[in-house]
Amino acid sequence: MDRLHAKNGFTLRIGGRPAATLDTPAAPRRVAAVAGRLPFLKPRLAVKPGDRVKIGSLLFADKRRPELRFLSPGGGCVSAVNYGPRRRLQEVVVDLDEEEEAEEFPRLDEAGLQAIDPAELGRRIVAGGLWSLIRELPFREPPALDRRPPAVVVFLDNLEPFHPDPRVYLAGRLERLRFGLGVLERLTGRPPVVTACSGGAETIAEVAPLLSCVVAGRYPAHDPGVLLYRRLGRPEERAAWMVAGPDLLLIAEFLQEGRHPTRRVIALGGPGASPPGHLEVRLGAPLAELAAGREASGESLRYVAGGVLTGTAASADSFLALPEKALTLLPEGARPGGFLEWMLPGRRKPSYSRAFLSSWRPAASYPMDCNRHGGIRACIQCAFCARVCPVDILPQLTYKAVLAGETEEALAHGLLDCVECGLCSLVCPSKIELLQALRQAKEAFRAEMD
Amino acid sequence: MNPVRRFFDTHRHHFEPGGRLARLGFLYENIESVFFAPAAVTAAAPQVRDTLDVKRYMFLVIVALVPHYAFGVFNVGYQAHRAAGLPPEFGSVIAVGLKAVVPMVVVTYAVGYFWEALFATVRKHEISEGLFVSCALFPLTLPPTQPLWQVALGISFGIVIGKEIFGGTGRNFLNPALTGRAFLYFAYPAQTSGDAVWTLLLPGRAAPVDAFTAATPLSLAALTESGGIPQAWAEAGYDLWTLFLGLYPDAIGASSTLLCLVGALFLITVGVADWRIIAGDLLGVLGTAAAIRLLAGPGAAPYLLLDPWLHLLVGGAAFGIAYMTTDPVSAPALPRARVAYGFFIGALTVLIRVFNPAFPEGIGIAILFMNCFAPLLDELELRWRLKRRLSHVR
Repeated sequence: MDRLHAKNGFTLRIGGRPAATLDTPAAPRRVAAVAGRLPFLKPRLAVKPGDRVKIGSLLFADKRRPELRFLSPGGGCVSAVNYGPRRRLQEVVVDLDEEEEAEEFPRLDEAGLQAIDPAELGRRIVAGGLWSLIRELPFREPPALDRRPPAVVVFLDNLEPFHPDPRVYLAGRLERLRFGLGVLERLTGRPPVVTACSGGAETIAEVAPLLSCVVAGRYPAHDPGVLLYRRLGRPEERAAWMVAGPDLLLIAEFLQEGRHPTRRVIALGGPGASPPGHLEVRLGAPLAELAAGREASGESLRYVAGGVLTGTAASADSFLALPEKALTLLPEGARPGGFLEWMLPGRRKPSYSRAFLSSWRPAASYPMDCNRHGGIRACIQCAFCARVCPVDILPQLTYKAVLAGETEEALAHGLLDCVECGLCSLVCPSKIELLQALRQAKEAFRAEMD
Repeated sequence: MNPVRRFFDTHRHHFEPGGRLARLGFLYENIESVFFAPAAVTAAAPQVRDTLDVKRYMFLVIVALVPHYAFGVFNVGYQAHRAAGLPPEFGSVIAVGLKAVVPMVVVTYAVGYFWEALFATVRKHEISEGLFVSCALFPLTLPPTQPLWQVALGISFGIVIGKEIFGGTGRNFLNPALTGRAFLYFAYPAQTSGDAVWTLLLPGRAAPVDAFTAATPLSLAALTESGGIPQAWAEAGYDLWTLFLGLYPDAIGASSTLLCLVGALFLITVGVADWRIIAGDLLGVLGTAAAIRLLAGPGAAPYLLLDPWLHLLVGGAAFGIAYMTTDPVSAPALPRARVAYGFFIGALTVLIRVFNPAFPEGIGIAILFMNCFAPLLDELELRWRLKRRLSHVR
């Protein structure tokens, strides 16, 4: 087994780590398929309010790429189609029936998997609305259906605060994981590269034999982009596919059961979650219902769909999107700092730098919030961003190339190796939106390629 | 409630749109943000941000400079008393020192803040805290006898030409404090160089007493023609401890190598100064002085044979190394370029000191010179790094 020590990175000491408990919140009365937080999507509606749908009925698909289908996570009546700014489709809401009906899809067993044509296997995943769970580097969009990737990476751990613990989400689902790995092997013609982080999924005795690589290091060492940057040499090898462990379980469940999956395990964490823990939830459940009864009192909270660093702020009225595996509750923190607080030694101030007393005796975790902690300034070349970057980009120079429109230069800096971990923006004392600049440059380059 | 908080809250409405001072709203927010960190929250991923900001970063440099001010006040008064042949009684030494140093600091901050506020208001951006560091550094590099109007002119040049016309802190390529210092050196050499300017004379005195040597260790070193320089220093009353502590006539607070050492260690510990620059500086000074000594051979001029480490004990070398070369904005951005940058500064400092009789001290010019080459050093390292990097698009 390959062992890799990832360089750089940074482990955020934020409070609210989910305990290894698994609860089931009350069953929701309505669910939704979310389009708004999937940036690659240009959705076209297939239903209108009032339509009857089953679990697995098509709700919307991408205009340019019909293989990106999004199916109903519940059976009942379409009650609302919500639009966001610039009339971008946000979500299609379905009021659930008492007895939900489900679309039936062909089932696949172990023997069938060995016999099935890879192209047919791909078409089944597409029909089940789960193709968007497979992502292709470097743009992290769903791959084209006919593409043969140089490698498929399945990552079981996610070091970002906070994602489901493999000890929780894999419990009792090992057979399903093995089946899923078989699916990827059949689909791509090569065995997937299965990665875990040291101290994570590798400690599960039954999982260890499945692993091909254990990565040690700080966040974002789990990210397949880091592995590819460190291990695979040729540029074309870096156009690999990646699938998160929990997502592979959904694909395997769909193929085995012949029904669109309706449940997954998510992590509810963050300083605003009380108590933080794992939840087994309905796909597309309302976020407010997931957090119900578990919100820390006293301050207004920000709902973040996904983790603290890469997640998107979402309205509490929104729903869980298909690829989302975490709900993070963060105190908003929209209040001015204390009188001359920036002059104090800072025993309770979490920081990547050593500028506060907390660096010498760091606490296990800090109650962080969404305050920006400072005004926006020009770059002062502190080079913190370059020191945390897991793939050796020099964000302080690359973002200037981006802002100057020098795409070629930004690409030479390694723009496409960026794993979008968000650490550069996190540590910047000038509060420059480095992640946004690099992401937008990647998107613009992607658009140029079409 | 904090009285300062209450003050800001009661007067805010004047500065809000529609208030009678609405045009100065930027200034109001700038001043408020000095006392209370803004309430702004993140608008994009990542949703949380580090608690370190530029204000804190720059503040730590000022913390490191505070002992230099305490020392500077003492040393100005102490040298003035020695020049007058009076016993250095502590209270009176401090009083004389404060009387000389405080007006210079007040003028520097008032004029510097005026320019920064003017540019910030016109350009509608916030006041950057780099200003406060530049204004803290500038007086420490000046002789205690500098006329206040020249202090004002020097900091104006440093802030406006050294920084603001390029867009303010972060976009300047020269160290603003040194730019102002160099301006005074070339514009008003009579008040900024020579042996007389480094000692404050007490009121009523036209010249120091005969027993007092006004010459700085640097000018002594340059003038010594035979014998060892350490002996020449010792004859003038500067033993090595005196030099290490900085108790000789020099710029206000820059002479103490001891405090520079403490300050540099502090800045490295808190992660504000990059040790690579300082390591490069030391390598440059010691290596160049050692090389000169080796090549010169016995019988050469004493300055060529000076023990390399003694270069760090005299003049502004230690101060420049600890606080001026480590300014991250005017230094290169990349690690190897930073070592090279430091090395060339150290080497140039020694070369200017030893071979150029027009400049007793070389570090200020050396730093400004290498500031201009910092982008080039960055470019060289960048090319070297990119050559080793695999790219998706090749």
